[in-house]
Amino acid sequence: MSFEIIASNLLSGVLWGGILALIALGLSIVLGVMRLINLAHGEIMVAGAYCALVIGSLTGLDPLIALPLIAAIMVVVAVPLQQLLLAPLAGKGAEAPMMTTFAVSLILQNLFLVGFSADTRSIGQGYSTQPFSIGPISVPLIYVLGFVISVGIIGAVYLLVNRSAFGRDLRASALDPVAAASVGVNVRRVHALTFGLGAACAATGGVLVGIALSFTPTTGAAYLLTSFAIVVLGGMGSIFGTLVAGIVLGVIQSIGALVLGDGFRDLVGLVLFLAVLAVRPAGLFGRRT
Amino acid sequence: MKSDGQKNVPAIETRGLTKRYGGLVAVEDLSISFPKGEISGVIGPNGAGKSTLIGLIGGALAPSAGEVIYYGEDISKLPAPERARLGIGRTYQLPRPFLDMSVRENLQVALFSKSPLMSRREAAARTNQVLEQTGLAGAGNIAARNLPLLRRKRLEVARALMLDPKLLLLDEVGAGLVDHEIDELIALIHALNDGTRSILIIEHVIRVVRECCKQLAVLNFGKKLAAGPTQEILNDDNVAAVYLGAAHRTDPAAAGVATLTSARRKAKPDRATLLQLSGVSAGYGQARVLDNISMRVGEGEVVAVLGSNGAGKTTLANVIAGSLAPSAGKLEFGGEDVTRLSGDKLFSRGLAHCMEGRRIFPELTVEENLKIALRGDARRQTAQRLEEIYTLFPVLAERRNSMGTALSGGQLQMLAIGRALISKPRLVIFDEISLGLAPVVMDQLYAALANLRDSGLTMLVIEQDVERALELADGAYVLKQGRIVLSGDAASLSRNPSLRDIYLGEKS
Amino acid sequence: MMQENSLGRSMAHPLTGSVAPALIVAVFAAAFMTPGLLGNYEVEIAYRLMLYICLAEAWNLLAGYGGLVSLGSAAFVGVGAYAFTSALNAFGVPPIVGLLLAGLAGGVFAVLVSPAVFRMRGLYFTVGTLALGEALRLFMVNVPWFGGSRGLFLDADFPSREALFWWALGLLALSQFLITVYTRTRLSIILRSVRDDEDAAAQLGVRIYRVKLVAFVVASMLMGMGGGLQAYKLGAVEPYGMFGLPWSIDILSMVVIGGLGLRYGALVGAFFVITLAELLADYPEAHIVVTGLVLALVVRFAPRGVCGLVIDNWKRRRSETRGSEREVQP
Repeated sequence: MSFEIIASNLLSGVLWGGILALIALGLSIVLGVMRLINLAHGEIMVAGAYCALVIGSLTGLDPLIALPLIAAIMVVVAVPLQQLLLAPLAGKGAEAPMMTTFAVSLILQNLFLVGFSADTRSIGQGYSTQPFSIGPISVPLIYVLGFVISVGIIGAVYLLVNRSAFGRDLRASALDPVAAASVGVNVRRVHALTFGLGAACAATGGVLVGIALSFTPTTGAAYLLTSFAIVVLGGMGSIFGTLVAGIVLGVIQSIGALVLGDGFRDLVGLVLFLAVLAVRPAGLFGRRT
Repeated sequence: MKSDGQKNVPAIETRGLTKRYGGLVAVEDLSISFPKGEISGVIGPNGAGKSTLIGLIGGALAPSAGEVIYYGEDISKLPAPERARLGIGRTYQLPRPFLDMSVRENLQVALFSKSPLMSRREAAARTNQVLEQTGLAGAGNIAARNLPLLRRKRLEVARALMLDPKLLLLDEVGAGLVDHEIDELIALIHALNDGTRSILIIEHVIRVVRECCKQLAVLNFGKKLAAGPTQEILNDDNVAAVYLGAAHRTDPAAAGVATLTSARRKAKPDRATLLQLSGVSAGYGQARVLDNISMRVGEGEVVAVLGSNGAGKTTLANVIAGSLAPSAGKLEFGGEDVTRLSGDKLFSRGLAHCMEGRRIFPELTVEENLKIALRGDARRQTAQRLEEIYTLFPVLAERRNSMGTALSGGQLQMLAIGRALISKPRLVIFDEISLGLAPVVMDQLYAALANLRDSGLTMLVIEQDVERALELADGAYVLKQGRIVLSGDAASLSRNPSLRDIYLGEKS
Repeated sequence: MMQENSLGRSMAHPLTGSVAPALIVAVFAAAFMTPGLLGNYEVEIAYRLMLYICLAEAWNLLAGYGGLVSLGSAAFVGVGAYAFTSALNAFGVPPIVGLLLAGLAGGVFAVLVSPAVFRMRGLYFTVGTLALGEALRLFMVNVPWFGGSRGLFLDADFPSREALFWWALGLLALSQFLITVYTRTRLSIILRSVRDDEDAAAQLGVRIYRVKLVAFVVASMLMGMGGGLQAYKLGAVEPYGMFGLPWSIDILSMVVIGGLGLRYGALVGAFFVITLAELLADYPEAHIVVTGLVLALVVRFAPRGVCGLVIDNWKRRRSETRGSEREVQP
């Protein structure tokens, strides 16, 4: 194997990892703040991709330009969904909300199937296949764009969480919801908005995946598990850790695909996930479990 | 040590036992032993490390350092199930029955896990015997979920007895019981002491301790304060001081000041009502903690809520602050019915709650912890409000960028107080702010509260330290078993002899 | 609900609780033996019903009685299916031995993965088993062994419809026997104590890990045998189908809809979901959407499923006529 191929693969792994980190960030925030394992996270991501597809065919808008619009649509859809389905289950244990998200994932998956058929789709754009070269190293341009956008959004989320008043409420609600309510934080509202934020992260990530690769109604499950792997590796609630873990996983997937064959891409991530869980169990997930 | 002979080997002994949670030391270098075949007790104020000690002996908690020796055998490394099989049975302070199982099944867990092949007849006989013994005879087939609190407590004891324990650890089985129930409990404990079984009781109900225990140890701040024969320990002034919080009031001059202040406070005219509770009851699940509470706090008044552990003080604070919905009765704040409002809505109406245990957000900085309580329009005055709090507690200004975890207990409490004050509330509930703090720090905090009182802040002070609270307050309510048993102005209450009885349980 | 005697409910002889399960098995057998009652289509449905009842009973034991909510059932079904096919192909063993080996393979696989998955508690166990199932599927698709993504063909004669029915009935009987033993004896008390409160159970001498492992192995053996039988029926195995997530989803949906942790929850749920699937057979996507909706509604409004609704209604009606059975507070 030539140096160029290895270097290109490593670089694309890093860039791809940035996009994975963005998707995982949504899962991580929801898990950290609401203690909710959102099994519909993968479907929400795929929903973002279909959303871009529809917007593209209706308006001809470039999916990258439409990203803010898609994110906004996801928030508008996800927030009422949370209030309708999940908020009433507060205080009924952790299993009931998780089962509900599982039901939501089934429903969404099959709505996609009805609406868009089982065909493999891709949000084709001029830059989807265009290469980006630095000397002998060459990666798809969309990977570079996707990485820049993802890291940009992750940075913005970091600022939102760590510098804004809403972020303060969010962190306080995650640490101690009762005490947060006692200093005036509307924890229910924080939860709804957190769910919306998580959905927006997943959906924008989904659009990038849709441009860079392809998707089907059932693509979500693999990304859900990859996201879990990243959350476990990076530590729940740590935004910086999520980014680093995403990049690490992206590189490992790239190496796995290069050495073992493309089919092993997701398997490598899952094996790593199980290994980490077995060696460092709930400790990595958080304090209360 | 080994040469003492089998006779003198203690049932349980700890050597240099230490348990840390992060920076907090719950039990520190504790070396203590309890004789076999006898009933011993451990007492101490809230947060002294008593339940942690039970956890360390029972195996639910792993020690940070030190050893646990059980009948001469080091069991520090054994997991909880193996300790149970060696004969250590424990109860939980808050009962943890297997809710979806019948009482009989709850009992048989221990039986069948230890001897799965026991004959049907023998198992039934053992179960029935323990049900009989613990007064649950008629309740065998009821789901544990449907048991009221008292019977859940009995179930805790019954379940542990099914292990046929050589050492029985009873964690506050008397809390929340009424007098005749306590009589029954004492009789039960005596019946369990068959001469070979050792029993270790952790208890706030002093009567249980006095009438059951031969030996007594007192814990304070995770350390052994005193140990010896029960009567000797209970008559010790230091021990009484730990309970009543009078450790700092030994010099008569200070006591004189206290009377003076009280006299001055008494002269205040009647004020407009700010908070009014009418017939409020509340509880958790099946357990009713508060029963028909009516009280009022006037504008600018300082009202204390007193009572021993488990009397329902903190539950009352949670109900008033909106974190627990009452099951009956009515709450009015500033003339508005707020019975059904949640905590954040009450906060926005000017009711701040400085919660028990401080509840500082550990991963937020000191300044963020303060800023989070500034909401809406108040955010525009952030700098000024922060300055006011920093003036009150200068040490917080020095540590404004430290994380919540990096502060000492006293600093954390100052931060909690600051967080409750920064929104300029109309009423602040201070729940047990002196808990686990050194006397000198308590003095500082109470001096700060006295200043706030003089500036006209309305306060509801929940406190175990009777003397401090009465010195600060205009009036007080005394809770016992979820009911108000005494109330009145601070000066007359502090002269009332039955107050000490309520705390040390002298009155039967 | 159950008969009282001097020994108490939990001491009731296991036989008294096995009448209803035996009756269920008998009903299937009787229906099949009544000439002209079941056509080919009905036999096919009955086979599927019995297979899924068996799988759902196994999952209910694990999740409902043991608190181990797994989304990795497909892994054990798949392992059983491959073990059955490989055993018949390689050694030419008779199907009964193949099925036993499939069960054994499921159990052994459970033992192998237990150190990893049992380190995760509660929800993390669920996610861990989901990852386990998916990892195994991807593994089977990608490695060249076991036929890779194309799978294996079974070198054995296709069983007749009748034979399959009897095999499924046997499996159903076995599952009913095992679950009855597990839920009617002292084993169930130990298992439920672990589900309700692991820490409190440990303090009563229950060796948590061992108790969970035994339930996990028993459930996995049943799932392995179910997979083996399905492989026998299909005559071929391939990783997408035998290790596919739909197994895990269907089994979970059945039990949650029927009543998690209730003795007849799996049975009722399997009837419900399979009937629904047949009614909506022409609209497969709508079927899953409706299943999802029912699942969400059940979680929200009937946490103890259809069985729970019936039991609660019945209790309410009985207490209205006979007064509350709850003891009066002292």
